[in-house]
Amino acid sequence: MKLNRRTVLSGLAAGSAVLAAPMVMAQGAPRVVVVGGGAGGATAARYIAKDSGGAVNVTLIEPTRQYYTCFFSNLYLGGVRDMDGLGHGYGTLAADYGINVVHDWAVGVDRDAKTVALASGATVPYDRLILSPGIDFKDGAVPGWDVSAQSAMPHAYKGGSQTELLKAQILAMPEGGRFAMVAPPNPYRCPPGPYERVSMVAHTLKEINPTAKILIVDPKANFSKQALFEEGWQKHYGGMIERIGPDFGGENVSVNPSEMTLDIDGVVEQVDVCNVIPAQKAGEIAHAAGITEGDWAPVNAADMSSKMDEAIHVLGDAAAQGDMPKSGFSANSQAKVCANAVLGALTDSRVFPAKFSNTCWSLIAPEDGVKVGASYEATEEKIASTGGFISETGEDEATRAQTYQESVGWYAAITSDMFG
Amino acid sequence: MRGGVFTALCSGAVTSAQIVLADQSLVHPEIAEIMAIEADADYGAYLASECTACHSPNPQGAIPQIHMLPESYIVGALVDYRIGERQHQVMETIAKRLGEEEIAALAKYFSEVE
Repeated sequence: MKLNRRTVLSGLAAGSAVLAAPMVMAQGAPRVVVVGGGAGGATAARYIAKDSGGAVNVTLIEPTRQYYTCFFSNLYLGGVRDMDGLGHGYGTLAADYGINVVHDWAVGVDRDAKTVALASGATVPYDRLILSPGIDFKDGAVPGWDVSAQSAMPHAYKGGSQTELLKAQILAMPEGGRFAMVAPPNPYRCPPGPYERVSMVAHTLKEINPTAKILIVDPKANFSKQALFEEGWQKHYGGMIERIGPDFGGENVSVNPSEMTLDIDGVVEQVDVCNVIPAQKAGEIAHAAGITEGDWAPVNAADMSSKMDEAIHVLGDAAAQGDMPKSGFSANSQAKVCANAVLGALTDSRVFPAKFSNTCWSLIAPEDGVKVGASYEATEEKIASTGGFISETGEDEATRAQTYQESVGWYAAITSDMFG
Repeated sequence: MRGGVFTALCSGAVTSAQIVLADQSLVHPEIAEIMAIEADADYGAYLASECTACHSPNPQGAIPQIHMLPESYIVGALVDYRIGERQHQVMETIAKRLGEEEIAALAKYFSEVE
C-alpha cells in the first residue's frame, strides 16, 4: 500500500495503543532517560510515554533484549513455571509507546551536563533521569566468592542464565546429595525470596532425589514469613531442610568454589550445589552517579527524587526509601508515583498524592501459596507503612491454593503493566 | 441487608447497577453518597495505576477483571471491603485507606476503560 498523509493518520488512529510514535514527537520535547528495564524502569518509561501522549521524549536504556524476571524464577526451580514464561521483550514499548529503547550499558552520569554515558561511547542527554538499576553484589561479602566463581557457585539472584545454571546443577546432584544456600544479610532484594527458593528446590528434590538434603547458612536471626515457611517445610519436606542461624555460626561463613566446600565458623562442609546469595548494594550506575550514601541511594518519598540531585529519581531495589521491601511490586508502585511527579514537573500536568503498595507472594509447595503486604504513604522522612497483612499459619488448602492462583494473576498483570 | 445485596450481585443473575438503581432502599447510604459525587477522571486514572499491578484487562489466575464493570458495582465492592463486609487481605488493606472521592474516581475510571 502506498502511504499518503491520510493513510498514515488513519493508521495512527486505528491503533488504540499508538500513543507517541517517534515521528510525531514534538520538537524540543522534554527528555526523560530511564536506566534499567525491570519492574521500576520499564513501568516508569511506559507510564510517562503513555500519559504524556508524545509530549515527553522517553529513552529506556537496558542491556538485555529479553528480560527475565527475578520474581517467579524460584517457580522455575520448582518445575512450576518454564523459563520462556519468565522472558519479556521491549518491542511493544518501542512500537506502541514510542519509547526509544537502547540496548546498551549505562556506565556514567555527568550531572552537570545532564548526560548519561553508554558503554558504546554514546552520550544521552536528559532533563530528568530515572535510575532503576536493581542490585549488585558487595565485594568480599562472602570470603572466597566473587563473580568469577558464579559458575561453580551461582547466585541466581538476577533472572536468566544464572537461574538456569542453578537448576541444571540441582538436577545433576548425586542421589542423597547436598544443596547449600548462603543466605544474605538485610537489606536485600525480595526478603522471602531465599526461603521460597529453598521450598522450590525441596519440591524438586522430593520428586527426583528424595534422600537429598538442604542446608541454609543464614546470618539473620529471623527472616520474612518465617513461621509460614517453617510450618510448610515440616509439612511438605520433613527432615530435608536444616538451617544454621547466627547463633551457630551462620554469620561467619566462607566458601571454596574449587573444592565445593563451606567453612561455617570453622567447620568445613562438603556440598554438591552451593547457592551463594551475597550481601547487596544499589546497582553500580547509582554509585557512579554519586547519589548513594553507603550501599543505597536515598530518595524523597513524595516523588522518588534523589536526596542529592533533584533531576535524578531512583526506583526499586537501589533506593533507600523507608519501609517498603525491595521487591518487583514495590518498584512498579514507586514507578507510577515517580512518573506522575516527573510528568507534572515537565509538562505542568496534575500531580497527585503519593500512594504505594506491595504484596509479596511465595510458593511453599505447588498450590500452597502465602502472602505478605502493606500500603504506604509518603512522609517528609520516608515511605511509611499505613498498615499490612500476612497469611496465617494453619490455613486450609483451599485458601492456600487461592493465594497461589492470585500470584498467577498478579504475574500476568504486572508484566503487562511493565512491558505493555 | 447489605449481605443480601452482595449475594445477589455475585450470583450474576442481574447486574449490580440494576439492583442499585431499582431499589434504593437496598442501597447502603455510603454507596449512595459516593455515587452522587462528581468523579475526578484524572485522579481516577492515577489511582487506577495501583490496581493494574494485579488487575489485568486480560486476567489470569484468581484475580478478577475489574475493567468495564458497572460503576455502582465497583463502589459497592470497595465500600464492602472498607467496612469489612467482604473479606480479602489485600483488598481490605487497599480499600480502608480510600476516601469517598477516591472510590468515586476509581469506579468511574474502571467502568469506562477497556
